[in-house]
Amino acid sequence: MVTVTINGKLVRAKEGEMLLAVLRREKIDIPALCHHEAVEPYGACRLCMVEITRKEWDGWKNMVTSCLYPVADGLIIQTHTTDLIELRKTILDLYLARCPNTPEIQDLAAQYGVMQTSYEQVADPNDCILCGLCTRICDRMGFSAISAVNRGHGREIAPPLKNAPPDCVGCLACALNCPTNYIKYTDIGHTREIWGRKFELLRDAKTGQLTITKEFAEYLSKHRVIPQDYFDLNDESHRKETALSLGKIAIWSREVPQ
Amino acid sequence: MKSRFIVTPILCTGCRTCELACSFTHAKDGKVGRSRIYPLNGGFKDLYVPVVCLQCEDPACVKSCLVDAIYFNENTGAYEINTEICVRCMACVAACPFGCSLFDTQQNLVIKCDLCGGDPVCAHFCPTKALTYKSIAV
Repeated sequence: MVTVTINGKLVRAKEGEMLLAVLRREKIDIPALCHHEAVEPYGACRLCMVEITRKEWDGWKNMVTSCLYPVADGLIIQTHTTDLIELRKTILDLYLARCPNTPEIQDLAAQYGVMQTSYEQVADPNDCILCGLCTRICDRMGFSAISAVNRGHGREIAPPLKNAPPDCVGCLACALNCPTNYIKYTDIGHTREIWGRKFELLRDAKTGQLTITKEFAEYLSKHRVIPQDYFDLNDESHRKETALSLGKIAIWSREVPQ
Repeated sequence: MKSRFIVTPILCTGCRTCELACSFTHAKDGKVGRSRIYPLNGGFKDLYVPVVCLQCEDPACVKSCLVDAIYFNENTGAYEINTEICVRCMACVAACPFGCSLFDTQQNLVIKCDLCGGDPVCAHFCPTKALTYKSIAV
């Protein structure tokens, strides 16, 4: 256990824990767009910056991304100084220049009093902030179907050669965890389309309700040793089946003399 | 000594008190759709089976989770979902052969029975003791 000072309050934390986890546990509101517990910290969005200092630093300070900075004994942390708020305002200002029509960015910027960007807007704006959360989650799940391509102004998230990604299974983890809802998908009928590839959705054998994609079920049964017939029913039908089979056992145990 | 959650379907009257108890414990507004336990009629007259997570020994939900969000709680003997790690890919919902890994569309979370941290509220409320939580010799 180590002891750190957060906004003047002594807080105990586990060794090796990242600062952002401690701040979140202390219910301190730190904005962060690219953070997810499932993946390694990345430090892309720069919004979780905090000010750190130590007694022996003689008044010197440093600004670090709290998601990437491990706690250490004797750290003194400030989370909402004038400098930090100014810094976050600048970052959000730049985000607004890149993504002017994104509601999530607009809301966050409005919280910090930035209503309009002071920079020149990009010519062809989209919702992507290039935080790389989708590619990191895809890597963590073991698919690595998408990644960041090109450099500089042309950098974007795309499947290999911008064709339909062969490794994608259509699990939607990238789209559902995107902080700005940039990744679009469509579920029309029994077809799901994401990243330009079409997937067939499995249907419940009894009620016809849609479950996961066929490719995802095949991946799970092949790599995670789950019988393929588990995916024939959805959760509601599975519960009914369970009630039926457990009911049979209950009836049998009632009829058989003890 | 380990404690297990024991379901005795013969004693169940289908009063759905457990469903209400579960909803009020885990969700603020107590909507029955948020429940993790479902007393269903299994096709036999007057026989209700409370369908709830059985905390399997080799669970399909843990095997199917690609980000290791479901872990075994040594103290309570329950498999719990860390909702911060969960990426909502719905693999566990599709994989559970008992249908006890559920998706809450309102909170946008995957939920399952976690035995209320070692003291299941539904067992306290069950009027006929069809649901019990007691120590068993292993």
